[in-house]
Amino acid sequence: MSADKVKSVKDDLVLQHKLFSLSRVWAIAFNTFTQLVRMKVFYFMLIFSVLIIGANFLFLNFTFEQELKILKDVSFGAMTLFASIFSIVGTALLIPKDIEDRTLYTILTKPVPRFEYLVGKLIGIIFLVAVSLVLMSFLFFAVLYFRQHGILAEEIKMIRGGATDAQKEYLKETIFAQGVRPELILGVLAVFLKAAVAAGVALVVSTFASSTLFTIIVSLVVYFIGHAQSLALEYYFPEGQIHGALQRFIAGIVAVVFPNLQMFNIFDGLITGQSISTTLMFRLIGLTGFYLTIYSMISWILFAKKEL
Amino acid sequence: MMAEEIIPAVQINNLTKIFPVPFRKEKVIAVEDLSLRVEAGEVYGLIGPNGSGKSTTMKVLLGLISATSGSSAIFGLSSSETASRGSVGFLPENPYFYKYLTGAETLSFYGKLCGLSRRKIKERTSELLSLVDLENARDRRLGGYSKGMLQRIGLAQALVGDPRLVVLDEPTAGVDPAGSRKIRDLIIEFKQRGISVILSSHLLEQVQEVCDKVGIIFQGKLVKEGKLEELIEIESQTEIILEHADPKILDQINKLVQASEETRLLRSGKPKTTLERLFLKETRAESEDVRKDA
Ligand SMILES: Nc1ncnc2c1ncn2[C@@H]1O[C@H](COP(=O)(O)OP(=O)(O)O)[C@@H](O)[C@H]1O
Ligand SMILES: [Mg+2]
Repeated sequence: MSADKVKSVKDDLVLQHKLFSLSRVWAIAFNTFTQLVRMKVFYFMLIFSVLIIGANFLFLNFTFEQELKILKDVSFGAMTLFASIFSIVGTALLIPKDIEDRTLYTILTKPVPRFEYLVGKLIGIIFLVAVSLVLMSFLFFAVLYFRQHGILAEEIKMIRGGATDAQKEYLKETIFAQGVRPELILGVLAVFLKAAVAAGVALVVSTFASSTLFTIIVSLVVYFIGHAQSLALEYYFPEGQIHGALQRFIAGIVAVVFPNLQMFNIFDGLITGQSISTTLMFRLIGLTGFYLTIYSMISWILFAKKEL
Repeated sequence: MMAEEIIPAVQINNLTKIFPVPFRKEKVIAVEDLSLRVEAGEVYGLIGPNGSGKSTTMKVLLGLISATSGSSAIFGLSSSETASRGSVGFLPENPYFYKYLTGAETLSFYGKLCGLSRRKIKERTSELLSLVDLENARDRRLGGYSKGMLQRIGLAQALVGDPRLVVLDEPTAGVDPAGSRKIRDLIIEFKQRGISVILSSHLLEQVQEVCDKVGIIFQGKLVKEGKLEELIEIESQTEIILEHADPKILDQINKLVQASEETRLLRSGKPKTTLERLFLKETRAESEDVRKDA
């Protein structure tokens, strides 16, 4: 081979290399998603169905308000549980496994920057959580819709001598206020955002831990402390008491290490019929974006020089 | 043309890699002051016993781990740059892939990582699956592949981006003779296409036919390097192999040798085929028998 030709190889390589390529990130994300789907994670839908359909038959002696409330409670609870488990366990399972099986060698020896690998994994897992939440919401809304109509018919029947139109209208209004409302979608969105933050936490832990079990345990600890974070900060720094650089620094570190996950639990309010302000939603979205950016950066720093 | 203009496929300079041992004071020196150069289009064999530092050298070259000291580059680009892997195919030792993907999906995944277009991926996938004899397993998941099949899909994966340098870590380890023959044929084909190859092995015989140059590595140091024939020829000896030699000729040769002052006859007899050649010959005959029966 002539020298000219070899020299152009180097220039070619430099020219052709893309510093960041969305299609590579997408390839890794989609592969992650496929992998989880083929691990049959969607069988969880069976459990979810049993839970929320079962919830309808357990408490027959309650008022309709209580009944619908319990249905929503169980559904949101189960959605939060499944979404958070998927993000934490999914991340903890896949990244340490890639390292252990040395599958990572074949990926990183293609022209794939390590950052793209991490972001691809994160997106793939968050995508899986999104799809599973969409499926769960469909089922949830369908069951709720079915129940609210069932309850309405029952209540109308119970009125002796037949209900007047005004009575029917009143019942419909009060029952449906507890039924399917567009705001419930905001509750699902908040569950999704919380799970995305949890995935970010698990990403950071898995990049330095390289062990599935350790990643799950540490992420769960962070997850639970995250729910109490605001309480702790309030206790140590009562309102207006964050003075000086050091305290500010400590409060900042605590807020990054233990994300305030309690903020995302807006469905408690939703279930009792409160409405959700758009500002709050935007704050949650912004907060999620902030956490995911920080966590991607930290895991990249940990992973960039990691010896594989 | 000036010599320094020629950029080699691989250039490793005074590479040292030391692994710390956790909770201990002593350290493992995996590679020590190793320098080697693979010219473009050359097949280089890194030979050494287990634990001598072959894999470590390759991992530094591919940027999977960083050098303690020294440098390494591919086509003049430092291993620390992602762009240096723009035209590289790597087959790790004992490779594992995503077992939930089929053979075709695996190649398509790696093709996307190499930035190939959708059309190109389709083409390459079919081409490579037939090259490594896995067309029949195209739509089977890798979870059900045998060791040999994994090795072959690994080879196909390394080639998917049409690389100019192929790095193979123990490509023939754990593969049956027919499989390793096939791998050697492929390496010869790479060479004909101008692809540079660096491969490692702990068994010299398995690769000696294909390497232009061989480096012998022992305890992290490159102890000998050179063209293969030069390394293995025994300077003071000459070999004569005759076909259908009748006893009279042999007798005459013997007498000539005895008459000479310096020359001595060390050994005569029938040359032995290698066990491997025998195995290949017999199994080929076998499979032809089977075919005839069918
Ligand atoms: N990650 C590591 N940590 C500690 N020691 C290692 C590591 N990787 C390799 N070694 C040591 O470095 C030496 C060379 O290993 P390796 O390069 O795998 O040899 P080879 O591939 O020639 O069999 C061995 O003694 C091995 O135990
Ligand atoms: Mg090795």
